[in-house]
Amino acid sequence: MPPLDKRIKKFLKNSIRVAPKISDKGELAELRAGLVSQYPQTRKDAIKKTIQQMTLNKDVSTLFPDILKNMATNDIEQKKLVYLYVMNYAETHPELCILAVNTFVTDAQDPNPLIRCMAIRTMSMIRVDKILEYIETPLRRTLQDDNPYVRKTAVICVAKLFQLNKDLCIELGVLEDLQSALDDSNPMVVANATASLSEINDMDPNVIDLKTLIQSHVSQFLMALNECTEWARITILGALSEYSAKDSLEAQDIIDRVTAHLQHVNPAVVLATIKVIIKNLPEVEISANGLTMKKLSSALVSLMSSPSEMQYVALKNIRIILEKYPEILSKELRIFYIKFNDPLYVKVEKIDILVRLVDPTNLKQCALLLTEMKEYSMEFEPEFVSRAIQGLAQLGIKYSDERFVQKILDTLLELVERDQDSIKDDCCISMCNLLRHSPSNEKLAEQVCSLLNSWSEPDAILRTDSAKCNYVWLMGQYPQFFPSLQAKMDIFVKLFKQEESLTQMSILITVVKLHSKLPGTMLQHVLELATQETNELDVRDMAMMYWRCLSMDNSEQLVNDLCKTIPPQIENTLDKFSPELLEKLLLELGTISSIYFKPQSDRRRRTITYQNIVKGKHIDELQDLAKNEIESKGNNDVLLDFDDDDDNGEGDDDDDIEMNSTSNGNSHLADLDDLFDFGTAPTTSEINNGVSNLNIRSDSSNTQSQNNPKLSSNTQDLLELF
Amino acid sequence: MGNFFSSMFDRLWGVNKELRILILGLDGAGKTTILYRLQIGEVVTTKPTIGFNVETLTYKNLKLNVWDLGGQTSIRPYWRCYYADTAAVIFVVDSTDKDRMGTASKELHLMLQEEELQDAALLVFANKQDQPGALSASEVSKELNLVELKDRSWSIVASSAIKGEGISEGLDWLIDVIKDEQL
Repeated sequence: MPPLDKRIKKFLKNSIRVAPKISDKGELAELRAGLVSQYPQTRKDAIKKTIQQMTLNKDVSTLFPDILKNMATNDIEQKKLVYLYVMNYAETHPELCILAVNTFVTDAQDPNPLIRCMAIRTMSMIRVDKILEYIETPLRRTLQDDNPYVRKTAVICVAKLFQLNKDLCIELGVLEDLQSALDDSNPMVVANATASLSEINDMDPNVIDLKTLIQSHVSQFLMALNECTEWARITILGALSEYSAKDSLEAQDIIDRVTAHLQHVNPAVVLATIKVIIKNLPEVEISANGLTMKKLSSALVSLMSSPSEMQYVALKNIRIILEKYPEILSKELRIFYIKFNDPLYVKVEKIDILVRLVDPTNLKQCALLLTEMKEYSMEFEPEFVSRAIQGLAQLGIKYSDERFVQKILDTLLELVERDQDSIKDDCCISMCNLLRHSPSNEKLAEQVCSLLNSWSEPDAILRTDSAKCNYVWLMGQYPQFFPSLQAKMDIFVKLFKQEESLTQMSILITVVKLHSKLPGTMLQHVLELATQETNELDVRDMAMMYWRCLSMDNSEQLVNDLCKTIPPQIENTLDKFSPELLEKLLLELGTISSIYFKPQSDRRRRTITYQNIVKGKHIDELQDLAKNEIESKGNNDVLLDFDDDDDNGEGDDDDDIEMNSTSNGNSHLADLDDLFDFGTAPTTSEINNGVSNLNIRSDSSNTQSQNNPKLSSNTQDLLELF
Repeated sequence: MGNFFSSMFDRLWGVNKELRILILGLDGAGKTTILYRLQIGEVVTTKPTIGFNVETLTYKNLKLNVWDLGGQTSIRPYWRCYYADTAAVIFVVDSTDKDRMGTASKELHLMLQEEELQDAALLVFANKQDQPGALSASEVSKELNLVELKDRSWSIVASSAIKGEGISEGLDWLIDVIKDEQL
């Protein structure tokens, strides 16, 4: 029986708990008290409060052991909260995680499938090696679970385990279980197993033979496709797109089976379906193509009514598809017309698609697009306007009819005269591009040149490098239309040093080309500038070459040959993918690669760190760490001292040497030797090497110690070394 | 709101209050078997406990929150996380494991020195009495130096978790002591 006062104290303590307690120890202490309370409800409330703090990004990791105590409970809500916490903070307390193992293992056998699933999911998520040691039993059990919900989670966990500890995963043999999950009766399990396998294949292509697996499971995939969620569909469609059909019949079958998904609401499903269809399309007989194409086209059109972010992705993908099947959307030009409320990034992409899409044999369509583009180029967003003006030139070059080009040029001239400085750059480039397309058309050239010649200070009006470059090129190409040629060139030459590489190059070429029309000093001046004052290697090399040509005997002829060659007519200003790149991109539709136009194989392989597991440190490891730290510190100190001695010792040493020349140099050498004796740092060994080299150079055959007569010179050399 | 009031009343009358009891001991002493013997009255097949088991059971109108902590050397340091607010400690000893009696004794005394356990009652089970060559309760008591314990209610009971002998006797004693202490 405890003494009476103790009992009274206890009674008071217990009764005070009734009133809400206001603690002055702070929130964490309050939460901790709540977490270990003797009342279940209080504990649960405290857990909720802790999670609340956690979601507010407050650090509640110190409560880890106390939260862990509440993990074993029958209350599923509480369990979920605790698991949430454990996921978040396990890495801050890797040692303590071991306390959770037993609960994880028990929960993985819980009668409730939700709990089983939660346990295995959380367990495989914690990146702590001690936990992974115990994952075998629960993982195996859940992989064979009766409940598909648990199985579908477990197959994903295999991929997670693989990422955390590849060797363990292979050793446990769960990969075989994973592969057999492809034959599961439940579509979700099949989909997740596929996702998991492709994830593992990404991490290490040598572990499983994904290709063969996909080849042998196509029928399962097609069966599962109609019964699973949209995300699972994307996975399965992704796997299907890696399957190559045996013959045209099978390809047609696959196309028929997936076509229904073209109408799915989720754009990702649609894109994945398109990918599968495009993969199989070449195998199919052409007669069946028409209908499929129609369906593809309507699917792409429907994508254009999605939110603008999706539209952007869709446009990027359409750009790839168009390259393979240019005719696919030719009747749908209208839906790519820009809406006033499109965001800028969509507008810019749309112009690109419009120009690609327009049918160069259809005058009406082109004319419509021209008016449309003209309107765009009078908008206010500078980037959009600039893209529209470039689009005009691209359109003109695509349609290629002389009268049409004239029409576009008129539009451009009109734009230039609107006295808006920001668009002059693009107009200048576009007009030059048009002229490059029809180099023989003097009338166009005259129009353009007379306008551009009227600018008194072209260098101030044009801002970008490429615009200036084009302007100078134009002067070189059509000098006869520039009455004030010399004055204009003077301006550019004067500012040569400030220009960027393209303009510099253009100035150089133009001056060389026109050297008979311009004063001789200008040529000399520009060549000097280009060889001596520029940092651009290309410009300098070009200048050197011209200079040599000009200084040869028959220079006139040679330079004429170089400069008077008529540039080839530009047929197309739309950039294209190389065929290999296009094939790769078509297989990666709907992925991030399709946005950047960079296939995955080109990218540097994802560097996977298998060592991202948090390990609890053992005491000996910690000791080693501490030792290393001390050692490295020591080394640093020594090195620093060494340097210091050196720096402030330079003068002294010189004095010493003078003294040494009279007295014996032995002590000095000893000093230096002492300096060098500081252990293992690489610098010292290098210097030692240096010393031996020096010895050799000074013709003394032997080592340093036997080198006394030469000592003073030797030390001096050493000091120079420093 | 109703929830709030009901929990208020629960606290007022001490309903739903749980007493915390720890089952400690070296690995393989039979802690988990004892816990489930108490909980469901059956022998369960166990595996080494990595971490802990906790069960809530009602015994003589008291709600007991019984914690069974793993006894591996690697887990023992974390026992201290569970000491707070503990009403009683059940220390289980494998009576046949003569070689590790010293270790058991050391762990026991180390644990009892903890500030948080000053008020906790101690019940020692000299377990595995069904095995041949098991030390008797008094011999175990001597090995563990139990007589040295001052200012603490303690008892040692010979038990066999497999056969179910001695467990309820021990717990009866423990409950009596706790009831006294808690009023």
